[in-house]
Amino acid sequence: MRRHGPRFRVALIGCGAVARLYYTPALRELESGGLLEVVALVDPVAAHSARLKEAFPKARSYPQIPGLPPDSIDLAIVASPHSLHAAQSIQLLQSGVSVLCEKPMATSAADARAMERAAGTGPGLLAVALVRRFFPATRSIREMLALRTLGEISSFEFSEGSESFAWPVASARYFDRREAQGGVLMDIGAHALDLMQWWLGSCVIVEYGDDAMGGIEANCLVRCQLENGVTGSLRLSRDCAMANRYTVRGSLGWLSWCTDTVDQFEFGLADTSEATVARPSGQAASSFEQAFLGQLRNVVAALRGTEELYVPASAGIAGSELIEQCYRQRSLMPLPWLDDREMARARELNDSLHAGVA
Amino acid sequence: MTGRVALLGAGGFIGSRIVEMFHLGGLGDVRPIVRSVGALARLSRFDLECQVADALDQRSLQAALSDCDCVIHAIAGDPATIRNSVAPVYRAAQLAGVRRIVYLSSASVHGQAPPAGTDEESPVTPRQPLAYNGAKAWAERRLLKLREKGSVEVVILRPGIVTGPRSIWQTRFARDLLAGTACWLDDGRGICNSLYVDNLVHAIHLALAAPAIDGMAFLLGDEETVTWADLYGPVARALGFGSLDLPNVDYRPPPRNLRQLVRALEANRSARAIASLVPKRIRRGIFAAIEPLAPPGDSTWAVPNAQHAPSPVATLEMSLLYRCSWKLPDTRARQRLGYRPVVSFAEGCRRTIGWLEFAGFPVIQENQRSRAPSVPA
Repeated sequence: MRRHGPRFRVALIGCGAVARLYYTPALRELESGGLLEVVALVDPVAAHSARLKEAFPKARSYPQIPGLPPDSIDLAIVASPHSLHAAQSIQLLQSGVSVLCEKPMATSAADARAMERAAGTGPGLLAVALVRRFFPATRSIREMLALRTLGEISSFEFSEGSESFAWPVASARYFDRREAQGGVLMDIGAHALDLMQWWLGSCVIVEYGDDAMGGIEANCLVRCQLENGVTGSLRLSRDCAMANRYTVRGSLGWLSWCTDTVDQFEFGLADTSEATVARPSGQAASSFEQAFLGQLRNVVAALRGTEELYVPASAGIAGSELIEQCYRQRSLMPLPWLDDREMARARELNDSLHAGVA
Repeated sequence: MTGRVALLGAGGFIGSRIVEMFHLGGLGDVRPIVRSVGALARLSRFDLECQVADALDQRSLQAALSDCDCVIHAIAGDPATIRNSVAPVYRAAQLAGVRRIVYLSSASVHGQAPPAGTDEESPVTPRQPLAYNGAKAWAERRLLKLREKGSVEVVILRPGIVTGPRSIWQTRFARDLLAGTACWLDDGRGICNSLYVDNLVHAIHLALAAPAIDGMAFLLGDEETVTWADLYGPVARALGFGSLDLPNVDYRPPPRNLRQLVRALEANRSARAIASLVPKRIRRGIFAAIEPLAPPGDSTWAVPNAQHAPSPVATLEMSLLYRCSWKLPDTRARQRLGYRPVVSFAEGCRRTIGWLEFAGFPVIQENQRSRAPSVPA
């Protein structure tokens, strides 16, 4: 693995909200620990990179990746708009730079696979930023399910959403179908479908409905089937306050994880609602911030060759394939407050989206 | 028929339904305008030319209103936002060449429990017990003042309790019911002056084009006279509560005299922390005065009670609303706008329950509602 001096040289590609709110404090922390050094900030909007330059005064700013000297970069963190992930990652990997790509890995499964191929033909690693895999709660749930603690899985229900969109996006392009290529499924769904498969094994989409009517979905309902034939649902929303719980039921018991907790979940015996709170011990990450740092540390350790990548490209590809399956089966969700005329028009607009992926 | 309509406050409850009815129902060409990019999340379901502009920023508003024939002012917010958005919106509309502003005011400019006989001709004052009512009354007055010197027509709509999908009234009640904190007054017999959101949008559509209504205000309501029990009953049944046996809880005003204030403060742990900043001599005096009033600490022998369950609390607004005994008339709207409610109260309830289910509430299907009332899991 290419490396200059004792610290890995990092480029931050895309200086928007996720770079500012999460990567900046995490990278500063790791910089102060001597693990890495941020040397480049890439964003077409000079004001965005200028804001991050206050945190990384030694870093140079670039408007585009082509201006970046690849020999001076070991790791690029791709935190740009979704639709740019594939092209930018491939470009960097082909230059020999390792990549940690934000979720969703790509806006199509074909693009995700092309990214993996690019990583396979060069010296760079490709990791996918699915930070929830670093939560103590989600890890413990995976272990519990692998040990068949709940018995035979009989059902699962995941729901997540809020009535207001709190993420501080800078540009309206985030909500533009042509740019974003998808809505809440592409966004939160990338996390949810990843955890679903990580916990329960591979699954297929049996039904998918959303409320995109010419634009991108603010609500969606996914019905999935596991390899043993068990079906479950995933309900996501940028419009309504959901329960924000991922619940799995089995023949012996159930467990439920609240999406705003990092280090605890509930479980109980089958046919009872009495819950026991589990707080996984012995794991370092006790907060979202620690989990985020854990993700970066794992990538750096993998670059050093001392750890396996915890979230390799294959995880991102599996998620992209499910998202693509969903959009291919798209139908309009029931919207029972619309009158007949509105519903007919809504269906027409939803159907028209089959021409494209989103 | 009007030209393009700019919709301020398009990301909100009423704004969302306006966009749906205009765009899907063919009522007109609408341009949604929101204050922040995040507010586009719900609107992005449609491929519409949305704009981001702050209603307090006249310049950005003017650009957002360009090429628009009319403006619907549906901005929700606190009293300051209600007041401060009026002049920038009017001036921006004037500079953009807008013909008419339809302003969504509120029937609460007449108070939450208006006296019998109240109609649009009844006096309206900005001095009201509730700041929201006062701000709406002030905004109406200010808009009409601006109209005196400006060229943009102003039409004021005064909806009552706007119900329907995403309405805070039914959503909050459903949440309170599930949490065990729902309450009312007088068993919900008061008149709630309901207005299903589709009926409001219908009235807005009429108000955009109706001739010779400049400067006029219109009260709006459903066809039916609806009580709070009528409004909440279907929600409760849909959630599996067979009968609405809610506690009657009246509003308790905040403490007014020093002794009551001190007692309330003493009961508050954070107030004790703040008190540590007060000089010791004064603090000693305060706590010496209040100590006899402090409730005794829980004995370890105390029988556990439901102290962790939140208690129902009535707000002043709800307390006044539940006392309403006058169905506000929409006679003027019928005569001048040609307004007739397009959705019945029963149908509105059915659609709202459909939305509650869509929004993840544990709605029980109609054929299963005979089960014993219980709090759904």
